[in-house]
Amino acid sequence: MRVYEVFLKPDGKEEFRHAGSIEAATDELALVLARENYARRAEGTHMWLVNRENICVSEEGFIDSNLDKPHRHNDGERVARWRKLQRNKKNNE
Amino acid sequence: MNRSWDSLETFENFLDSGGIVEPVDEMPTEYRQAVFDFIEMHANSELMGGLTERDWIPRAPGLRHKMSVIAKTQDEIGHAHLLYMVAADLQIKTRQEMMRDLFAGKSKFHNVFHYRAKTWGDQVAIAFLVDAAALVSQQAVFKNCSYGPYKRILKRIIAEEGFHLRFGEESVLRIAEGTQIQRSMFQSSINDWWWPALQLFGPDSKPNDLLLRWHIKSERNEVLRDRWIQKFVPLLQGYGFTIPDPDLRWNKEENRWEIGPIDWEPLKRTLAMGGPDSARRISEASESWEKSSWVREALEKVAT
Ligand SMILES: [Fe+2]
Ligand SMILES: [Fe+2]
Repeated sequence: MRVYEVFLKPDGKEEFRHAGSIEAATDELALVLARENYARRAEGTHMWLVNRENICVSEEGFIDSNLDKPHRHNDGERVARWRKLQRNKKNNE
Repeated sequence: MNRSWDSLETFENFLDSGGIVEPVDEMPTEYRQAVFDFIEMHANSELMGGLTERDWIPRAPGLRHKMSVIAKTQDEIGHAHLLYMVAADLQIKTRQEMMRDLFAGKSKFHNVFHYRAKTWGDQVAIAFLVDAAALVSQQAVFKNCSYGPYKRILKRIIAEEGFHLRFGEESVLRIAEGTQIQRSMFQSSINDWWWPALQLFGPDSKPNDLLLRWHIKSERNEVLRDRWIQKFVPLLQGYGFTIPDPDLRWNKEENRWEIGPIDWEPLKRTLAMGGPDSARRISEASESWEKSSWVREALEKVAT
């Protein structure tokens, strides 16, 4: 038996979302079982199944390294301060 | 991911600050076991509930009800399916081991499924009172559950229980509008099921309840029980039925219903697999599992 992760997506702008998992003997049976267990009331229009064995999982901390890269998030503060200064100057004239 | 905690204390601090635990985390053994036991019992109850439901497919009054019962059966078996997946991922027992223990009477399921549903009235009482009691407690778990996969799957289960509840209330309404014979049949179902449904919440929570402490449950048993009582006393009375509790009274000052003392002996008996219908239920469930073994064997063959 294989374990599959089930992803559903409603039509439109929503992204695929993880719904849960299912155990099945083959891909074909997994699709049927996933439909019967996760989409009985039209919970989506598209369904992806991924065999759990084929999922690449990052190790602990692998993406945490990006926490200390504030330069990737320019908060625009310096420019905002300058603009405010300019506005104040103008108002005072 | 793959987080670990150096002591139970730091783990509890994590939980208290709203932390959500995922299956890959190195959670404390006691927590893993507590979550597992809780989900296993829930899964067992869905399966046992689904099997009772199934018994009523051929006996439901009319095609409309029959279709609703089929849908409900599929929902309950589906809930069991999803919950057994979540439980198995905790790597304490496999799904096969959970089935084995259920049929051996070694693992628990809700008290209400240790009683026999003898009439359509009983089945409606279950759909109305029992599904509601289950829903009240599931909502409270969902609200604040610290175990991620359980919380997420409960969202789906709760949505579907809502349909069962509406089906239950619609069926109550149909009976209430029916003949005197139908109404008295349902009154005797209420008499039989009121107390078991109320006992489903269990006795008052102990002050040191680990399920509460670890945010697996978020509300005390007595709070949930009372919420159900306050809702269902007026509902049943509104449909013209009475509550089988001679001590039931309306407290004017506090604006709430007060019930008489609860006898916990029946609940204890069901937990020890000694309920009125425990043995038959378990053997029937195990029989239906055996009967379908050829399907699983065929699937195993395709899988390898
Ligand atoms: Fe259910
Ligand atoms: Fe239900």
